[in-house]
Amino acid sequence: MAHTFETSSNAGGANHWVRALGRRLIEIPPAYFVLAAVLVAIALLNPNLMKPQVLLTFIRQSAPLGVAVLGQLMVMRARSIDLSIGGVFIITNYLLTSGLLGGQPVAMLVLVPLAVGLVVGLVNGALIALVRASAVIVTLGVSIILTGIVLFMSSGRPPGRVPDELRAIANARIDVVPVPVIIWVVAAIIVAVLLRTLIFGRYLTAIGSNPQAARFSGLPLPRIVVTTHVLSGLLAALGGVMFTAALGVGSVKFGPEIMMNSIAATILGGVTFGSGRGGVAGPFVGVVAFALLFALMTVFGIQEPGKLIVQGTVIAVAAIIYGMRTR
Amino acid sequence: MAAPLIELLDISRSFGSTRAVDGVSLTVQPGSVHAVTGENGAGKSTLMKILAGVIRPDAGTIRLEGREVHFSSPLGALGHGISTVFQEFTLIPNLTVAESIFLGREPMRRWGGIDYPKLRSGAAAALARLESAIDPDGMVRNLTVAEQQIVEIAKGLSADARVFIFDEPTAALNSADVEKLTRLIRDLKARGKAILYISHRLEEIFALCDTVTVMKDGRHVATRPTEELNEHDLVALMVGRELSSFFPPRAGTVGEPVLTAIDLRTNAASPSVGLTLHRGEILGLAGLEGQGQRGIARALAGIEPAEAGRIEKTGRDGARHGLPVDAGVGRTLATGIGFVPEDRKGEGLFLDLAIRDNIALGVETGRPFWALAPNTTAVIGSMMQSMNIRARNAEAIVGSLSGGNQQKVLIGRWLSSGVDVLIIEEPTRGVDVGAKAEVYKLLRAFSDAGGAVLVLSRETPELIGLCDRLLVVHGGAVVAEMAADGATEHGILHSAIGSRQAA
Amino acid sequence: MATLSALLPPPRNSRAGPWYLVLACLVIVVAVVAWSAPLFLTPGNLSNVAAQVTPLVITAIGQTLVIITGGLDLSVGSLISLTTAIIVLDLPGWAMVLLAIAAAVTVGTVNGVGIAFLNVHPIIMTLASMSVVQGVALITRPVPGGTVPGWISGAVNGSLFGLPAALVWIAVAVVIAAFLIYRTRFGLHLFAIGGNPNSALMNGVRVQRNIVLTYILSSLFAMGAGFYLAGRIASGDANVGTVFGLDSITAVALGGTSLSGGVGSLVGTVLGSVLVGVIGNGMNLMNVSAFLQIVIKGALLLAVVSVQRRKQIGL
Repeated sequence: MAHTFETSSNAGGANHWVRALGRRLIEIPPAYFVLAAVLVAIALLNPNLMKPQVLLTFIRQSAPLGVAVLGQLMVMRARSIDLSIGGVFIITNYLLTSGLLGGQPVAMLVLVPLAVGLVVGLVNGALIALVRASAVIVTLGVSIILTGIVLFMSSGRPPGRVPDELRAIANARIDVVPVPVIIWVVAAIIVAVLLRTLIFGRYLTAIGSNPQAARFSGLPLPRIVVTTHVLSGLLAALGGVMFTAALGVGSVKFGPEIMMNSIAATILGGVTFGSGRGGVAGPFVGVVAFALLFALMTVFGIQEPGKLIVQGTVIAVAAIIYGMRTR
Repeated sequence: MAAPLIELLDISRSFGSTRAVDGVSLTVQPGSVHAVTGENGAGKSTLMKILAGVIRPDAGTIRLEGREVHFSSPLGALGHGISTVFQEFTLIPNLTVAESIFLGREPMRRWGGIDYPKLRSGAAAALARLESAIDPDGMVRNLTVAEQQIVEIAKGLSADARVFIFDEPTAALNSADVEKLTRLIRDLKARGKAILYISHRLEEIFALCDTVTVMKDGRHVATRPTEELNEHDLVALMVGRELSSFFPPRAGTVGEPVLTAIDLRTNAASPSVGLTLHRGEILGLAGLEGQGQRGIARALAGIEPAEAGRIEKTGRDGARHGLPVDAGVGRTLATGIGFVPEDRKGEGLFLDLAIRDNIALGVETGRPFWALAPNTTAVIGSMMQSMNIRARNAEAIVGSLSGGNQQKVLIGRWLSSGVDVLIIEEPTRGVDVGAKAEVYKLLRAFSDAGGAVLVLSRETPELIGLCDRLLVVHGGAVVAEMAADGATEHGILHSAIGSRQAA
Repeated sequence: MATLSALLPPPRNSRAGPWYLVLACLVIVVAVVAWSAPLFLTPGNLSNVAAQVTPLVITAIGQTLVIITGGLDLSVGSLISLTTAIIVLDLPGWAMVLLAIAAAVTVGTVNGVGIAFLNVHPIIMTLASMSVVQGVALITRPVPGGTVPGWISGAVNGSLFGLPAALVWIAVAVVIAAFLIYRTRFGLHLFAIGGNPNSALMNGVRVQRNIVLTYILSSLFAMGAGFYLAGRIASGDANVGTVFGLDSITAVALGGTSLSGGVGSLVGTVLGSVLVGVIGNGMNLMNVSAFLQIVIKGALLLAVVSVQRRKQIGL
């Protein structure tokens, strides 16, 4: 906002390399520092928890969020935002626990929510990119509508239970590694590789840097934004299936929490809001850091309100660090 | 001679390791117009920003009527009677004219509210002194560029400023408005104001200014009364090289038509335009400022869809593509038309990305999302070398390059994409003299290799020197066509205005 | 509605935005509701509408100030909740009021400083503070309940010179905001900042300070809404404010205030809030399920932001 001017980037002197190191450090997403701090805290306060088996169990709880974050990070790199992730989780939960899909094979239990996620992503993307409405409002509005639909259909009461096949998958492990964590890691690797190697990734970088120049260079700006929202809708639906399978029952309460966590982890992971920077690894670590942080808080008996406070503070602090850096 | 109204003594200012202004001193007399000129990057704008309160000097003092003054904002400078009309205006579109004139120093009532009647009458009085018919209650967003400039001047008058700074004031004006501005400045001078006039347009300096100061590389070169100089001397002081050496030789022969516009109407009210661009040719759209050249160029590039008409593009293989007027950039680009906008930083480049990313986009654009991104290292390496882009390596961030190198990166994007038509607005805006010649050479090399270039420029001499053929545009229509070789500014102006009288 | 706004040119000599559209909508909606639910126009129901709408009007007025500068305040909802939680704390009246004001000023200052000085995007900053404030509200009042002091209930449920108290609350909020927006330098500078912050800075507008002030005011208006709401529901509830974050944005956008900043009006915001309230009341009268109402409100929000076509794509 203030007028600033380029400052020297190659000022000489004895402390040159110290500054260079400082600049490198500040380029590292805060997620890594938070993760390191949490691990240290766990090791000091409760060494019993420092076993792969235990840590992975904590991380398993965040695998659904981690999958959704893969979508969020793409959307945010395209200078948009997806606040409808919570709504997609809720409607997925309803589809799987209401008995609407009773007796269907597992493939259908995954495909139907994915189809819903696709439609939600398309609606979000169309309103944002083609109608050019504000992304915050559109996705919040869509989230509200989805939640309202579920409340209306279920008359406000959480519906029944998740089919057993899904539950079994959510609880399975390969060796010590829980299956949901494997799904998450595989999805993250696929997204990272695609962003690195495909034209789509290059376009995303360009749009994040300067949308106007991207348009003048012939990039199909609206189509890219729609695509990121569709991908985010799909990944949110997949996350929703994983979340519901792990939860086991219907619920209408967790939507806002998931939405906030997806943004918190993405920002913590170094995706700078509205400037298009960031990778896949940072937000991945962000999710892990949050998972362990909340686990640690639970161990110490800190309740939901305390977690809200920590979560909000972490978002603010991470955003402030970027803000000061880019000023 | 009277005592100087304003004195700058030994002013210095560095940005990082570059000294933008280096120990410059300057004095301005009341009732005189003092030109500050020099190449782009000579430091004249920085010097004026210091005097205007936008930037603080690292060293040196500013004296007003012999007393040392300090200020840290344009408003502070205005408080000391220094008013600046910036190149990019500081008016805010959703305020009224009167509010804009008094923004930041609104007349207040005792209970803390704005005294709106006083604000309105003060604005009306300032506008009346400029003999302007602008409505003080009108919104700024409805004003023309020339009217906005008058509002900026009225702001200074209402603050009773004694020093007026004009930073390239004619850059965005047509000739009628330039004349009006000239009259206004003479009027200010007659009232004993001191005027600093920053420009690199020699004819304006000679027509308007009493004294001229030349800057080069942040240093003061000379200050002379204008009557002691002629254009040749002044250019020599500025650049130290001959003008004619800028431009590469023109095309010998011209090839087949490559881009044709038939009955193109940029909007419902504009006349229809037809033009043909040939291979091997650089074609210029000349004429007075804002006569529709930009609309035609942007319609051809697919940036702003035209109202009606047809565009035909012939590929390198001889295949003809008809383009509807609302094809959009993606499709025009696919047929081989690249566009270099005037606002390079806002509309052309990705400033926070590397040279590599900026150029590679030319190869990548138009491909489907799911395609593998090609390896562009070799292309970029050869492009940087052949274009003489001066940077550490391909990973250098484009925002850190000079204007000339940035322009080369942007042109390089389209060269690497294999387009055979380049539409380029203001090819050398913000590009220093040395790089200018390189940009011209690049464009000529492109057309010599079978490409074609359509150029828009406010600098008519640039069009005459660079192009093969000129189309004079007036009122949205092509009113004359001429060979650039032998064309004169006078002749171009004459054909533009002659047509207006006929119409 | 989309075609309607396309037909009407934007007002040439004003920065008020097309508030007359919401007026037209309000007339139509009132007519439809009155026709299909005769109960609507009874004095009892109308004062009920006024009472329902009041906290939204007050919150939306604060939100308008923020949106005119080009920002957005998502934290108003949790601040309303926190205020009701503070009100039912077992404290002397003056201490409780001071604590509520301190909370509002703190939240507004943190938001404003983060946005104006630390360069954080308004959405992220207020989303973060929304989360923190919600947490604090839940700690202060884990389950709804408590006793609201009598003077607050009286001020909310009584009447002044024969007017229902709700109208007095609205009138006070409107007068304060109208004075700030249309009569003071601060108000003019809000529009200048929303129009072009860099130019405003060049003209000596204290952009950062004014933005901080705006977020503080938004928090204070939300606090006012919290007082009213506490009096109405006669308890403290850490979740009662949640809907107001989005509803206030809907109301402001309905009123023709541009979410990109620089264009907006108080009258539009008041009419927009009333429209949201009338639609809700009408649906209640027509026995529309509360859950379906959520869906319809969301759809309304989408319709409104779709009408406000902007230049850029994204946030």
